[in-house]
Amino acid sequence: MIWAAIVASGIVTFATRALPLTVRVRLPDGGPARAYLDALPTAIIAALAGAAVIAPADAVTRGAELVGAGAATAVAAWRRHVLLAMLAGVAAVAVARSCGY
Amino acid sequence: MRASARDALIEGWPLFLTSFVIGVPFGIAARRAGLGAIEASGMSVIVFAGAAQFAMLDLFARGAPAALVVATALLINLRHLLMATAMRPFAEGRALWQRLAIAYVLTDESFAMGIGRLRRGTADVAYYLTFAFTLWLAWNAATIVGATLGGAVTDPDRLGLDFAITGAFIAIVVLGIRDRVDVAVALAAALAAGALRLAGASSVAVVAAGAIAPLVAAAVRRVR
Repeated sequence: MIWAAIVASGIVTFATRALPLTVRVRLPDGGPARAYLDALPTAIIAALAGAAVIAPADAVTRGAELVGAGAATAVAAWRRHVLLAMLAGVAAVAVARSCGY
Repeated sequence: MRASARDALIEGWPLFLTSFVIGVPFGIAARRAGLGAIEASGMSVIVFAGAAQFAMLDLFARGAPAALVVATALLINLRHLLMATAMRPFAEGRALWQRLAIAYVLTDESFAMGIGRLRRGTADVAYYLTFAFTLWLAWNAATIVGATLGGAVTDPDRLGLDFAITGAFIAIVVLGIRDRVDVAVALAAALAAGALRLAGASSVAVVAAGAIAPLVAAAVRRVR
């Protein structure tokens, strides 16, 4: 079951990468459909982050993840650097958890 | 060609490092989600898409049906259609196998590096492939390290390691924000995903929120 899911996910993922480079795929140039497609990456990544921050382990966060999210957001906006922001978030979460949050 | 490869390695090393630093927690998380080291590595080779792989782990841990796992991976990776379309100059005049190689290693990072090089000069395939395959090596090496040493880290949550990918996601969103519409889309998606998960719709929370939130942009940007 896990291997079937991995292989099938690999096939659909490869298709999203390969189709525009091998056959003529026409994406909408403008209008709401294009605006939707353009906004999709931000929305997906934000949804992944939001679920993990607000509801880690499917229950309301005890606070540590909110502290981590604040730290990661601040450092990302300040230094424009993914790795630094990630490390700041991890460190903030570790500190908050050691304080009981 | 050699200069292209050298430039790719020099300019790319911060991203190789980031990929490795996120790949190790992926390997650890894969083991905690119940996957074997071979399955974790298989994911990194076959799927090779960080955000989708983390979302898939979450679904595997919940015992979600395979169809939902595949649908989630597809939605998360739909953005590749846009990136691959912009990468067409790299495929022009190339044999099919070369186009497929370019496609296989297309990621957010390799897209950014390849397009950056294109804007400064030409569609430099040697530069792109050197960067992209080195990133592939970093991600896969890190997966193996995390999946094999994963058992030795007794309490990764105490170290905040489970937050590594979330912190990276937040940074990616923040760096990609161009205007208030982007902020609205990101907040709508994050809040909707959190709310859906708390409401008990945990398996579909990310997919549903990610598919609904861009409607904000579709509605607002059309007016312009």
